[in-house]
Amino acid sequence: MRPSTHQRIHRGIAWVILGGWGGFTVFLVLWVIMASLKSTRSLFGKPFEFPSAPAFVNYSKVWVTSHFGEYFLNSLMVVTASVIGLLVVALPAAYVLSRGKFRGRKALLNFFIFGMGIPIPLLFIPLVVMLSEIGLIDSLTGLTLVYLSVSLPFTIYVLQGFFSSLPSDLESAAVIDGCNDWQVFWHVMLPLAAPGAATVAILNFVGLWNEYQISLVLINAQEKRTLSLGIYSLMTSMQYSGGNWPGLFAGVTIVMVPTILIYIFLSDRMISGITMGGVK
Amino acid sequence: MRRRMVIIFLAPAVLLYLFFVLAPAAASFYLSLFQTSGFGETPRWVGFGNYIKLFSDPVFWLSITNMALILTVGGVAIFGLAFLFTILINSGIWGKKLFRALIFMPNVIAVVALSTFWSFIYMPRYGMLSNIFKYIGFDQAAAISWTAPENIIWSMLIGLVWISTGFFTILILAGADKIPTDMYEAARIEGAGPVQMFRMITVPMIWDVIAITMVLWVIEAIKMMEFPFAFGGPTPVQSLLTPSIYLFIMGFGFRQPVYELGYATAIGVCMFLFTVVAVLILTWATRRDRVEF
Repeated sequence: MRPSTHQRIHRGIAWVILGGWGGFTVFLVLWVIMASLKSTRSLFGKPFEFPSAPAFVNYSKVWVTSHFGEYFLNSLMVVTASVIGLLVVALPAAYVLSRGKFRGRKALLNFFIFGMGIPIPLLFIPLVVMLSEIGLIDSLTGLTLVYLSVSLPFTIYVLQGFFSSLPSDLESAAVIDGCNDWQVFWHVMLPLAAPGAATVAILNFVGLWNEYQISLVLINAQEKRTLSLGIYSLMTSMQYSGGNWPGLFAGVTIVMVPTILIYIFLSDRMISGITMGGVK
Repeated sequence: MRRRMVIIFLAPAVLLYLFFVLAPAAASFYLSLFQTSGFGETPRWVGFGNYIKLFSDPVFWLSITNMALILTVGGVAIFGLAFLFTILINSGIWGKKLFRALIFMPNVIAVVALSTFWSFIYMPRYGMLSNIFKYIGFDQAAAISWTAPENIIWSMLIGLVWISTGFFTILILAGADKIPTDMYEAARIEGAGPVQMFRMITVPMIWDVIAITMVLWVIEAIKMMEFPFAFGGPTPVQSLLTPSIYLFIMGFGFRQPVYELGYATAIGVCMFLFTVVAVLILTWATRRDRVEF
């Protein structure tokens, strides 16, 4: 059936609204990249024109002088370690919470889910006090442990749902074939859970890469800053240095390009991971 | 499954969660009953003193007002847009997946990065908005100071709505996608338009999804910190203060150290209680028999 004129008009309006909203985001990303290659004068004088001679010097400045190279490595280390640790800890827990038969299983699962409702700022001060006492304040190890722990509720919730959606006859077959419970987990369930594990890994990687409120509270030393924190301090320092906006946008580009690249290739998986957690 | 495996598999997660999340959360209730700067001095027991002080602190009430504004005005805008986008995306247009991906995209970019862009948009005189208004000849509009104390919260809200809408859209959209299409076919034959179908079919069918997303928004809005904090830039404006930001400033100071750890923690406890109460009210208000399909 061909759409009627009426329908065509409706679809046209839908297209314009959605295209406008989505187009704005694309415009933002491209504009920031463009702005990062300009001189301050041309950024303010002609904000919508392409830079005549791309100023790559903005990047080398921000990478070296503003230490974004170090911040990049810090972010990469902390976030990678957190995500790997998270998988090592959360996969077995989620498996047991989904497949185990023991009293209090449901209660324990709810106990983890409850964590999603705790406002992170509530933890700021006790965490600082506690980490100072055990000597992990202002350290990337401490930050990693906190990142890992606060990501547990969401991760366990999503993974538990994923394990529950897997068919149980494979397990019974493996048991009949003589696998013990550990072998069932390692050889049967873990490979099946790989897509779910990859999804939560990506979501947590992006989420922690972008995080800055916890690092703002826990990290003090300049050489231990993460990228997002680096942007924040660069922004804050601009009040004194008079405003090197192109340099700031070069920093912004450095922090946003990795997650956008991940998103371009894996948007379907990320979106389905989030909706898997929220919509049951 | 052997008992030993259950324990070994659960222990690391439970311990980390207890140690770094639940224990600090519980400790904050206790800490909020003391006055302390945290520097070796013995904390002084003040009972509910911090809470009594909070209730007569105009800055705290200002942060609560801002929080309420974000929660309600922001919430209405975000859910209004999320519903609109769900209707539009599901109206059978081409490029459904592309639009969904584009609408969600701001959520994958660091909030602090987005805030720099929004600061540039609103910058007085040289900002993008001023430039656009000047270009089309609206000199009066170009002269508006978007970051003036009386305007800044609204300017911030626009950016916040833009960031958050995508998240709630994809959740509502995912719920709507599970509804059998023959229901829509039947409605279309009866002559229903997209808005009618959304109101009469989609909303009742995905009511529990809408309820969950509203709970998520309430949790998010009450603890709001990152965007308003970065948007405020080098000098956090009082007009952008949320309870989380106030907690941060009282705990760690901004420019000048404050170190009122007990007082700051009391703010956190209030936020937690708000969250619990708001979620309970919301769950009660949206309660309804689940539609099975």
